[in-house]
Amino acid sequence: MNAHSHARYEALLKVTGQARFEGEIAPAGLLHATLIEAPIACGELVSVDAVEAPTRPGFATLVTHDDSASLKSSAATTLIRETAIHFHGQPVALVAASTLAEAHDAARAVRIATAARPAVTQMDQALGAAIAPEMVGRFPAATRRGDVATALGEAELVIRNRYSTQVNNHHPMEPHVVVCWWEGPKAVVHTSTQAIFATRATIAQAFDMPPRNIRVLARFLGGGFGCKGQLWWPWMFWAMLASRKTGRPVRLELSRAQMFTLVGRRQQTEQDLALGFANGRLTAITHDVVAQTSAHTDYSDSTAVYSRLLYACPNVSTTHRLVRTNEPQPVPMRAPGTAPGTFALESAMDEAAERLGLDPLDLRVKNFADHDQETGRPWSSNSLLSCYRVGAERFGWADRQKRKKRDGRWTIGFGMATTLYPAIRQACRARVRLNGDASLVVQCGTQDMGSGTYTALGQIAADALGIPMAKVTVELGDTWLPDGPFSGGSQVTASIFPAVQSATAQLRAMLASMAASDANGPLGGKTSDDLDFEGELIRSRSSNAAERLSDVLARTAPDGLVAEGESAATDHPKLAATGMGHGAVFVEIGVDSALGEIRVRRVCAAFAAGRILNPLLARSQYVGGLIGGIGMALHEQTLTDRATGCILGKSFADYLIPVHADMPEFDIAMIEEDDPHLPGSVKGIGMLGSAGIQAAIASAVHDAIGKRIRHLPIRIEDCLGPACDTAQR
Amino acid sequence: MSGPSFHYIEATRLDDALAQGARHGATYVAGGTDFLQLWKTGLAAPKTVIDICRLPLAEISYAGDTLSLGALSRLSDVAAHPDVKIHHPLIADAILASASGQLRNMATLGGNLLQRTRCPYFRSAGLACNKRAPGSGCGARDGENRHAALFGTSSGCVATHASDLAVALAALDAEIVVASAAGERRLRLPDLYLLPAPTTAPDSSLADGDVITAISIHDACRFAPRSTYLKIRDRASFEFAVVSVAAALQIEDGVITAARLAAGGVAPLPWRLHGSEAALVGRAPGKAAFAAAGDLAIEGATPLAKNAFKIPLLRSAVIRALQTIGGVS
Amino acid sequence: MTVTQPPSHDARERTPPRIALSLTINAMRYEIEISPSATLLDVIRDQLGLTGTKKGCDMGGCGACTVLVAGRRVVSCLALAASFDDAVVTTIEGVGTADHLHPLQAAFIRHDALQCGYCTSGQILSGIALLSENPGSIAEIREGMSGNLCRCGAHPSIVAAIAEVAGL
Ligand SMILES: Cc1cc2nc3c(=O)[nH]c(=O)nc-3n(C[C@H](O)[C@H](O)[C@H](O)COP(=O)(O)OP(=O)(O)OC[C@H]3O[C@@H](n4cnc5c(N)ncnc54)[C@H](O)[C@@H]3O)c2cc1C
Ligand code: SF4
Ligand code: FES
Ligand code: FES
Repeated sequence: MNAHSHARYEALLKVTGQARFEGEIAPAGLLHATLIEAPIACGELVSVDAVEAPTRPGFATLVTHDDSASLKSSAATTLIRETAIHFHGQPVALVAASTLAEAHDAARAVRIATAARPAVTQMDQALGAAIAPEMVGRFPAATRRGDVATALGEAELVIRNRYSTQVNNHHPMEPHVVVCWWEGPKAVVHTSTQAIFATRATIAQAFDMPPRNIRVLARFLGGGFGCKGQLWWPWMFWAMLASRKTGRPVRLELSRAQMFTLVGRRQQTEQDLALGFANGRLTAITHDVVAQTSAHTDYSDSTAVYSRLLYACPNVSTTHRLVRTNEPQPVPMRAPGTAPGTFALESAMDEAAERLGLDPLDLRVKNFADHDQETGRPWSSNSLLSCYRVGAERFGWADRQKRKKRDGRWTIGFGMATTLYPAIRQACRARVRLNGDASLVVQCGTQDMGSGTYTALGQIAADALGIPMAKVTVELGDTWLPDGPFSGGSQVTASIFPAVQSATAQLRAMLASMAASDANGPLGGKTSDDLDFEGELIRSRSSNAAERLSDVLARTAPDGLVAEGESAATDHPKLAATGMGHGAVFVEIGVDSALGEIRVRRVCAAFAAGRILNPLLARSQYVGGLIGGIGMALHEQTLTDRATGCILGKSFADYLIPVHADMPEFDIAMIEEDDPHLPGSVKGIGMLGSAGIQAAIASAVHDAIGKRIRHLPIRIEDCLGPACDTAQR
Repeated sequence: MSGPSFHYIEATRLDDALAQGARHGATYVAGGTDFLQLWKTGLAAPKTVIDICRLPLAEISYAGDTLSLGALSRLSDVAAHPDVKIHHPLIADAILASASGQLRNMATLGGNLLQRTRCPYFRSAGLACNKRAPGSGCGARDGENRHAALFGTSSGCVATHASDLAVALAALDAEIVVASAAGERRLRLPDLYLLPAPTTAPDSSLADGDVITAISIHDACRFAPRSTYLKIRDRASFEFAVVSVAAALQIEDGVITAARLAAGGVAPLPWRLHGSEAALVGRAPGKAAFAAAGDLAIEGATPLAKNAFKIPLLRSAVIRALQTIGGVS
Repeated sequence: MTVTQPPSHDARERTPPRIALSLTINAMRYEIEISPSATLLDVIRDQLGLTGTKKGCDMGGCGACTVLVAGRRVVSCLALAASFDDAVVTTIEGVGTADHLHPLQAAFIRHDALQCGYCTSGQILSGIALLSENPGSIAEIREGMSGNLCRCGAHPSIVAAIAEVAGL
């Protein structure tokens, strides 16, 4: 497979405003819906008084828990079947009306009565009641290898600290939306979801109907980052119930404020981490995580999991515990686990390097893990050492101390850190149709959140059949297409690759035999392994003979050919090798210590994540991830009011994410890897940028002003202080 | 969300606007950028909106060292106006540090001065807030109060005023021209605002129906060569001030002959630092004078649990602003 | 939990009457009736179906709803439509077509200045307005574009695309 920086497949539609996002479907008779929210953080919904609402102009229907009684009970229906209130802003009813303004008017006329119980609104109120989950994702929550206590006792240096990270929200620029209607027993659901097939399966279960009667569409998605998944389902169900009650299509879109409460968050963590060293080598790691989860569902990131395997270390103990609070539910968000986990581990490595008198880079190299120490397996491929070397060279790490430490008002600091993310595949299918005119249609029921799935699918198929991208049509985001992977965990490209390859391999075989079987044709009698596909031709490798694809098709299959391919999911227990992508991030920051302001000036990152299909789009993914990481490091924090449990400042004026003016210079190096264990050597890339950089920034702050900040976000108040009040000097 | 709909009246003459504006349930809208936020979050629900944006009050003129700015001028037009850039760059600086390019094209001077606080408790309809619901308490005082004020607070309200422009105007001793059915009056800019009482905290001293028609600044172009607006924020742009300082100096023969300092993000209104100003006048610009001004700037500051960092920050900001314009570090 | 609902409807609430508005959008004249409290964004996107203009926050904080009014950029979500009678509006649909792209649209494609594409219309309109203000440096472009958020993190390519068209 060849790397090629094709322009983004759907770019033209997006720059002209012609890309139709699912919320922009406007069927005749569309009703608009809005959610009514509970004003308490914990308690019970007592009554919904809707005497007034139906008198309002445009009112169409009210949907409450009573209506949800018709739904089957499941995790996805708990919040709408049970009247318990678990967090402030939890929806208690939905109102639909002819226009959105009328829906809001009618909603204001609905009286809600609730009975409040004392709420746990912040994690520190219930630390004592923390529970220990069994699993964190697919990993055991607690692990122990070797003898940590002895190793720490004997270590020459022990670094022991607490690190904390705050709640973040995903905030894709497009809020969650559904436009849905019923056609007799069938449901059509246009919605912004990262997983159309999982959405279809949950609808089927809740509404007790066969999946084939449900069509879910998500052809364009205005971002997702982990939040366009299961937490949206209950409210989507209410919209579907409203549609069923009224017999009209219904549209429900969340407000930006609801994006803080209803669709998930990155959980808050308190992480106790200890590292023991002897001779500059890690001898012990303990990483104990306490994190927030909601009062109704336990969720844990795999925060300490990466401390088990990033470095060579014989004695490792990790635990995860959860504190249930009356706050919104956490879900995975951009580099789940690795972002908070590497913040702690990599910050501690930087402290260790300082104490050991080693360069932070050298300490990492020295502790490189040449195999996966948790499972004992080899790496499927691992180019982390190359990432360190290439990144350091391009950044100028070695001679950083010779550079000037001041630039005007800015005190300069440098930092680096490691990032990693597992390479995983999901089972899926893809269909490739070659039309009679040698144009190609590639179909897969997956989604493109902006990560380049359209382009990747098209490129893989086009490349295999020697057809230019201009003649490729890609269709995705529709459950009428073959089952595709959900968009998450950087898994889509790796998952669809084998499926598309298998489909195109079948087509190649058919075409080759068609070409070879025509004795009078230019390729008559050639064997299929002599034939190659290139430039819309089938070409003999051994001679100059070639035939146009369209001629072969016209002759033997004027209606074209179709093939379907399948990929199998990663079978973790049976793996011969652990698949992991890696990266090394180097940052230069400036701190104005008198004013506490921090700006990232330069980021150089080297990533190794298998083979890169499209360097242009891969770079966008990496840079986007890094920018998300900068937000987590310096800006983002969701605040809960302790007294009421209400999320505060539910707007972009309060929840700060990086803007153009915050942008540093980016230099991205992509280190290609051949990976004999992974189909096409494809690993995921999306998550790599979003981890590591937080610790690199924290280390750079220390380098600049000598202060260790062990919590995120790092803000003005953290960098101010008598010691940095240069204005006084 | 959207609020309840309202009747819309476009005012084309000031006297019409004044007559309509005094009616119960009426509110003025100029650029609409703050009003619509409040309306969408259920904090403003007028029966009638009187749109004043087309009143002929958008003129900018400069004569005899008096700059007069029509209250309905858009922020971007004011910042780009040659008379403003040349004679009062402090105003242009403060505006260009405000909001975004889009919002500055919409927002008017009058609307900017009258925008409501960004206190997140004020902006969340259900929470305790004396400013929004007198007598309901103050959620911020014992809650999340990183944004809160250091000066001029009461037991009932610790919110800051968010306008950057107001800080610059306060430093320049601007006057506000207000029209009402009873006639025209002039206010010093700080008198446009009220300090909070124990259980209530109205923002402005204007009566229902009053219209700000103009802002005028006299005898201040002497500060043009040495003025700066320093705005400190968590991200590099498009954020309200954590702390800001408007500073202007006049230096003759190596001696400070006039000083103007005002701070934003620290009080319910743009906070003039008279003590610091007095400490500067008559002294040579330099480390000692600036440090003295910084020290005096924070005198009397009363911090809450999460905003104490603003005290050293304000001090540093005052010193930095003076260094920037004082010609010496 | 109890739910109380009345048996019948009676529309006794009176909403304020709709008002007439004329707008010129992308050189097309529209004579429409709107709710007095409608925003320009709702009129453009919902009432007129010009869905290229996006709603990211509805509170002025993201720039996804940026349109040009008489060539100046505004956030249409905080624009009271009634205030814009007779206004001349440009939305993304009026910037360029697939066959005749605006140079900035073409530069966006070349630089891959978009990922999910939800902020893109706003970025392009904001960029076009900024170009008319003649930004003199990359730093000025970054500052000038800061009213347009992008959660995917396409910022560097967006700025590169604008810089290229600006000849920087
Ligand atoms: C995301 C965001 C970020 C922002 N960042 C900043 C920032 O960094 N710095 C900053 O200073 N501001 C900032 N703002 C606030 C913005 O500047 C104000 O919304 C704007 O200035 C208000 O002006 P307007 O004309 O739109 O006011 P309107 O919304 O039209 O009016 C506000 C109020 O003032 C009254 N009013 C308006 N004009 C008059 C008049 N002439 N006489 C009497 N009453 C009048 C109205 O009745 C109304 O109650 C930001 C806003 C947003 C949305
Ligand atoms: S500080 Fe003022 S505005 Fe904020 S909650 Fe308290 S009373 Fe309300
Ligand atoms: S939708 Fe208008 S600024 Fe966000
Ligand atoms: S491209 Fe997705 S928000 Fe900018």
